[in-house]
Amino acid sequence: MNVVIASSSIDGGIGCWDLQTGAEQLRYKTCASPPHGLTSVGCRFLACSQLRDPSATSGHLLYWSWSKPQAQVKSFPAEPIKPLIANSDGTYIVGGGSSGDIYIWEVATGRLLKKWHAHYRAITCLVFSEDDSLLISGSEDGCVRVWSLFMIFDDVRRQQVSHLYEYSFTEHTLRVTDIVIGYGGGNAIIVSASEDRTCKVWSLSKGRLLRNVVFPSIIDAIAIDPGEHVFYAGSRDGKIYIAALNAESSPSNNYGLHIIGSLTDQSKPVTCLAYSAEGNLLLSGSEDGMIRVWDVKTQNITRMFRHSKGPVNNIVIVRLPYPLGRAESKSQPSSRKHELSLPPPLEKYANSSDEDMDNKAIVMLPDTIDLPSYLSSQLINDHIKQLQQQGSSAVAEMEAKRLKADCQRSKEMFQQLRKVYDNLQEFCVNELLDEQTMEGSKGN
Amino acid sequence: MARFDQLENMYDLGLKPVMLRSLIRQYLPAENHPLNLNNSCFELPSLVSIVQTHRLLSELDSQSIDPKLINTWKSAVDDWLSCLLSLLSSDMSDKCWVGICLLGVTCQECSNQRFLSSYSIWLNKLLSHIQPPADSQLVKIASCTSLADLLTRLARFPEVKKDGNLLAGKLVQPVLKLLNEDNVEAVWEGAANLLYALIAFFPASIHHYYDKVQLMVAGTGRSFFGGWGVKVLEKEDIGVMAYFLGCLNVEAAIASKILSGKYSTKTLKKLGYCLVLLPKAKGDKDSWSLMMQKFLISINDHLNEAFQGVEEEAKSDEARRLLVPPGKDLPLPLGGASFKGTSSERLPTATISTLMFCCCKMLTSSYPVQVTVPVRSMLALVERLLRVDGSLPHTMLPFMTSVQQELICSELPVLHAYSLELLIAIIKGMRRQLLPHSAYIVRVVTRYFKRCSLPELRIKLYSIIRMLLVSMGVGIAIYLAPDVIENASNDLNSLGGEDIETSPANTGPATGALPQLSNRKRKHGAKTGSLEEKQDAPSPKVRESNTHQMTPITVKMAALDTLEVLLTVGAASKSESWRSSIDSLLMKTAINSCKRGWGNLESNIFLPHESASVWADFQFSSLRALLASFLAPARTRPPYLSQGLELFRRGKQEAGMKLAQFCAYALFALEVLIHPRALPLDDFYSSCHNSTDGASNRFLENIYSGSQKQNTSFLSAMRRTEQGGVESLDDDLYDRWLQNENENQNENENIPVEDMKDQTSRPNDPSFTNVLEVREQEPAAANADVHMRTENEIVVQPWHLEESVPKSQGVASAKAVMSPAVGTNPEGSEIESKTPLSASDRLNDTNHDMFSCVDKVDGFDHVAGKTSSTLPNAEKGSSSMVHLASDSSMDSFPGIVDADPDTDADSD
Repeated sequence: MNVVIASSSIDGGIGCWDLQTGAEQLRYKTCASPPHGLTSVGCRFLACSQLRDPSATSGHLLYWSWSKPQAQVKSFPAEPIKPLIANSDGTYIVGGGSSGDIYIWEVATGRLLKKWHAHYRAITCLVFSEDDSLLISGSEDGCVRVWSLFMIFDDVRRQQVSHLYEYSFTEHTLRVTDIVIGYGGGNAIIVSASEDRTCKVWSLSKGRLLRNVVFPSIIDAIAIDPGEHVFYAGSRDGKIYIAALNAESSPSNNYGLHIIGSLTDQSKPVTCLAYSAEGNLLLSGSEDGMIRVWDVKTQNITRMFRHSKGPVNNIVIVRLPYPLGRAESKSQPSSRKHELSLPPPLEKYANSSDEDMDNKAIVMLPDTIDLPSYLSSQLINDHIKQLQQQGSSAVAEMEAKRLKADCQRSKEMFQQLRKVYDNLQEFCVNELLDEQTMEGSKGN
Repeated sequence: MARFDQLENMYDLGLKPVMLRSLIRQYLPAENHPLNLNNSCFELPSLVSIVQTHRLLSELDSQSIDPKLINTWKSAVDDWLSCLLSLLSSDMSDKCWVGICLLGVTCQECSNQRFLSSYSIWLNKLLSHIQPPADSQLVKIASCTSLADLLTRLARFPEVKKDGNLLAGKLVQPVLKLLNEDNVEAVWEGAANLLYALIAFFPASIHHYYDKVQLMVAGTGRSFFGGWGVKVLEKEDIGVMAYFLGCLNVEAAIASKILSGKYSTKTLKKLGYCLVLLPKAKGDKDSWSLMMQKFLISINDHLNEAFQGVEEEAKSDEARRLLVPPGKDLPLPLGGASFKGTSSERLPTATISTLMFCCCKMLTSSYPVQVTVPVRSMLALVERLLRVDGSLPHTMLPFMTSVQQELICSELPVLHAYSLELLIAIIKGMRRQLLPHSAYIVRVVTRYFKRCSLPELRIKLYSIIRMLLVSMGVGIAIYLAPDVIENASNDLNSLGGEDIETSPANTGPATGALPQLSNRKRKHGAKTGSLEEKQDAPSPKVRESNTHQMTPITVKMAALDTLEVLLTVGAASKSESWRSSIDSLLMKTAINSCKRGWGNLESNIFLPHESASVWADFQFSSLRALLASFLAPARTRPPYLSQGLELFRRGKQEAGMKLAQFCAYALFALEVLIHPRALPLDDFYSSCHNSTDGASNRFLENIYSGSQKQNTSFLSAMRRTEQGGVESLDDDLYDRWLQNENENQNENENIPVEDMKDQTSRPNDPSFTNVLEVREQEPAAANADVHMRTENEIVVQPWHLEESVPKSQGVASAKAVMSPAVGTNPEGSEIESKTPLSASDRLNDTNHDMFSCVDKVDGFDHVAGKTSSTLPNAEKGSSSMVHLASDSSMDSFPGIVDADPDTDADSD
C-alpha cells in the first residue's frame, strides 16, 4: 500500500492519503514542519522535526505511530533540527542542525551516536545514497557535501585527515534548497537546487559538476525520474520545469538550455515534489495547501489532495507492507512487538554515562528459515554401514545379543544331543549286557 | 495378484499396494523368525529407497481413483504398520531396531490422515524405547531419530499444536535422562537430534522444563566441551543439580575429571545448537542476552587459562571488564557451575571452539524479539584471539616452556578460524547497525590480513571483506580498497600450485602471451608506484616464508571473488589509483587460467568428498572478476575488452556447461557496453516533443564506422544536444546508434561534426539553431572555430576538392600535434567525456550553436533541393566537405571546415 504523507509549515497535521484510491487516511495531529523535516522511519513510524520560534534553544522532534493520531514520542535535541531523514531500514535517524552540525541517532536506543560540524551555516537538506553508506548534505552557505558514514564513525582516521567529507561542492552561491540522488550506487548523479536559480548536476564518482541548469525562477524542490531521463524542478513561479538529464534537450525552448518543458496549473509556488515510480506519478505540494498528482506521461493532473490552508512543504511517499489502520491492530496478531511500540526519544547529548550501552546494540536478528528435514532414512544408512563394518561397539552389542541367543540355542541343542547320546548309550549298554547275559546263559 | 495383469506401466497406482505387500514379505522378518542380519537387514536402505521413490505409503486419495484400489492400498499400509509395530514390540533388539527405523520413515512418508490418526500411538511406542529398561544403543538412537522425525512432521499441522505440545512435553524428561545418564557419544547425538526437534518445533513443551534443561544440557555439554583440561560434573551430580535446582552448591557439585576428548565436533555442535535454541523457548529479550553473556564469560575464562603466558595479563582484565561492567553482578555461570581452572597439558580447544560456534549460532538464528547484542565484547574477543600468534611477550619469556608454546601454536589456527567465523556471524547478525563499529572491524581485519598466511584463514578473511563491502556499500569501499588491492594482488601474482610446470621466470607480472599488457603495466608503474613495486618485488613481510610463495588455488579464487565485489561496489569512487593495475591483473589472471584449456566440471568419482572441479571454479571466478572489471564504471574505456571478448567467445563454445553459460551471460552483459543506451523509463517524452520536428529530420550518418573505440561514457553520449525529436523508442535507439558513431569518430578523429539540417523541413521555425559539438584536447583553440552563430538560415556549400585539401591538411596537422597526447595520456578519454559538458555550458548563454559534422554522403537524407543538387558533386569528390554557416556570421567566421584526410579515403 502506497501512501502519501504531507506536512505543512503551519500546523495542519500530517495528512495521509492512499495514492491508489485517493482516500484520506488518518491525520496525524500537531505538526509544523520545516522543509525536508518529515520522514518515515523504516516504514515503522513517522518522525518529523518541528519548527520552533527562533528564540528556542533546543529542537523539537515528534514520532507518530501509524495507528494513532497523537504524537507519541517527543525528543528535544540540543538545537533546532530542520532536515531529518532515516536510512532505508530505519536504524538511524540523521538530523541537520541550524548551527551546521549533523546529528546521527540510533533509533532503537535513541542514543546520539555522532555529531559533527558539517557546514558553516544551517543544514537545509539531507539525503542518503542508495546503499545508505554516503550522506549528502546541503546548507544555507551554498555548499553541498558528501560524507561517508564509515569515515564519520572512524575515530582514528578522523584525526589523520584534514577534512571529513568526501567531496565538497561549492559552486552554488546561495542557500541550497533541495538535493536528490539518482541510481547507481557510487556512480550516481546528484542534483541540487539552490536559491541562486540554478540546479546543478554532480557526479558522485568523479566529484565534480556535470551540468548547470539556469531556471527563470528559484527552484525549491526537485524530483528525479527513476530512468534519469529528466528531472523536475518545482519553482517559486508556480511552474514545474522539466530539465533534461539523459534526454535530448531541444534548443527551441522558451526557458533556457536543458529545460525541455514545464507543468503548470497556475498554482502558487511549488514547495515540494515527490516521484512515485509506481505508475510514473509526480506529486507536487504548493503554497496554496494543495497536493497535485501529475501523470508524467500525459502531463495532466490526475488527482488533488487538499492538505490545509497553509503551504505544504513536505511530501513523502511511503510503501507500507500492510494496509493502514485496522490491519495493524487486528489481523496482524503475529506482528512483532517492536512494530507496535515506538522506540525511546532521541537523546540530547552524546551520553557517556551509560557506558554499557555503548558496547551493545539492540538488534532484530535476521530471519532464517529452517526447512524441516527428516533423518530416519539417513540414520538407516549410517547404521547399516556400521553393521556391515561390524566395528562399532553398538553393533558389537547387538551382535553379542544375537550370539547370546545363538549360544542359548546351541546349548539347548547340545542338551538335546546329549540326551540322545545318553539314551543311545544306555540302549547300547543295555543291549550289550543283554547279549552277554544271553550268551552267558547259553554258555552256561 | 490378479490385478497384476491389468497394470499399465510403472506409474499405475494399482502397482503400489502390490509392491508394498511383496516388500513386506521379502524384507520384513516375521515375528517368530530370527532376523538374519546379513540379508534382510542390509537391504533396508534399498527397501527405504523403493518406498520413497514410488511413494508406496502415500495413499493418494482422490476422486479419480478406484475406491477398490484405495481399499487395497489402505489394507496394504495397515499390514505394513502392523508388521512394524510387531517388530517394535519384539524383544530382539535387532528386530526392534528395524521396526523403529522404518516407523521413522513412515512418519515422513505416510498420508496426512493416517499420520494424524495414529501419531500419538507411535509416539508412545517409540517413547518406551528410550526409557529406562535399557535397550541397546542402536535402538535408543533410532528411537530418538524417529521421534524427531515424528515431531518434525507433527509441527506441520498447526491444528494439533496443543496436543503436540502436550505429547512433546512427555519426551522432555526421558531425553534429559538419556543425556545425563548415558555415557555413549552416539546416544547423546541422537538425543541432541530429538532435543533439537523439541525446542525448534514445540518450544512451549520445553518451556516448563526450561531451567532444568538449560542446566542439564550445559552440564552435559560442559563435560563434552571439557575436552581436555576441564573439570566436569559427575553423572550423579548433574542429576542432583537438575532436581535440586537453585539450592545447590554448584561448587561442590563439580568434580574434577579430565575427559579424554574423544567426542566429535559434530556432536558438540549439535548439543551446542540445542543450547542456542533454548532462549527461544522463553522468547524474551533477557534470556537471549543472558545466554549470550554466559557463553562469552565462559569463553573468556577458558581463554584466560589457555593464553597464560602468551598474552599480557592486562588483556584478560580488559575483556572481563567489557563483559561484566564494573558494579554489575556476574550472571550464574554457564551450566550453573563456575569455572575453576586447572593446569593442564592440553588446550581446551574443543570447548572454546564449540562455545564460539554457539555464539555464532546465537547471532544468526532468528529470534522473535529485538535483542541486545554485546557487540563490543564480542569484537574484543575476536581481536584478542586474533592478536595471539604464539609469540611470547618479553615479560613472559621466563615462564614458558617450548613445549607449552608448541602446544599453543598447534591449536591456534583452529581458534583463529572460529574467531573469524564469529566475526562473520557478527556482520551477518548486526547488518546495518554495525556501522559504529565498522572502523574497528576494518582495523582488526586489515591488521590480521598482513600477518595471516594460512590458506583457510585467508579465504575466510576474504569472505569477511566481501561481506563488509556488500553490507556497508561504497562508503566503506573507498577506505577498504587499498588493503584489498594489496593483498589480492599479492595472492594473485604469487606462484600457484597449478603453475608448477612453468618455470619461475615465466611467472612475472608480464607473460609472453601478453606483451601489450606488460607494456601497459610498466607505463602505469610510474603512476601507481607502490602497487607495481609490490608486484614486481614482493614485499618481504608477506614473502618471507617460502610456503606463501605457493598460493593455493582456493585462495586465489577468494582473492578474485573479493576483487569482483570491490569492483562492483566501489569502482566508481576514488578508484583512479588502483583501477588500471587491477584491470590488467584480472585480464592476466583470466588468460592464464584459460590458456591450458577448460576445467573439467564433472566431479571426479575417485575423490570421495571434494569436488574435482576446482580448476573450473577458478576459471569461473577469474572470468567473473574479468566481467566485473569490464562493467565497472571507469573513466577510460576497458583497455582489454577485445581480449576479454575473445576469451568469452571461446569459453561459450568450448567450455563445460557452467562456464559456457557464464561466458554467454558475459557476452550478453557486455553488449550494452558496446551499444550503450539510456532509455527513458516510459515513452512520455514523446508527448513533450511531438512538435515540429518531423520524421524527415534525420540525423546524419557519418563515414567513420571503422573506429574501434567503444564509447563508454553514457553521459557524453546522452548529453550532447542534438536535433530532432524522438518519435518512438525505436527511432531513439536508431538515432543513438548513429550518434554513437559520431562520437566515436569525434573522439578518435577529433573532428567537429556538422549536422546538416535542411532548412526546408522547418521553415516556420526562426529560432531554429544547430548545436555544435566540440571534442578536442585544446578547447580554447577549437572553440574559437566552433563558436559560430547562426541566426536563422543555414547554407550548405559544396566545396571543391582542390579547395578542401589544403584546409583539411591544416586540420590534420593540427591534429597530428595533439594526437600523441591522445595516445599516451591515460586520462585522455576522461577529458573527452568532459568536453561535451563544458562545451554545452559554454554555449549556454548564446543558445545559438552550430552542429557540424562530416557526413557520409550516401547515407544522407536529403530533402532540400539545394543540398541535393550538390550531391553528385560531393559523391564524386571523395571528401565531402559540407559547410554550414549563417549569412550573418559569414563575415566574422569565414567558414568552418574540418576533415581528416585519413578518413576521407574511407568514404569511398
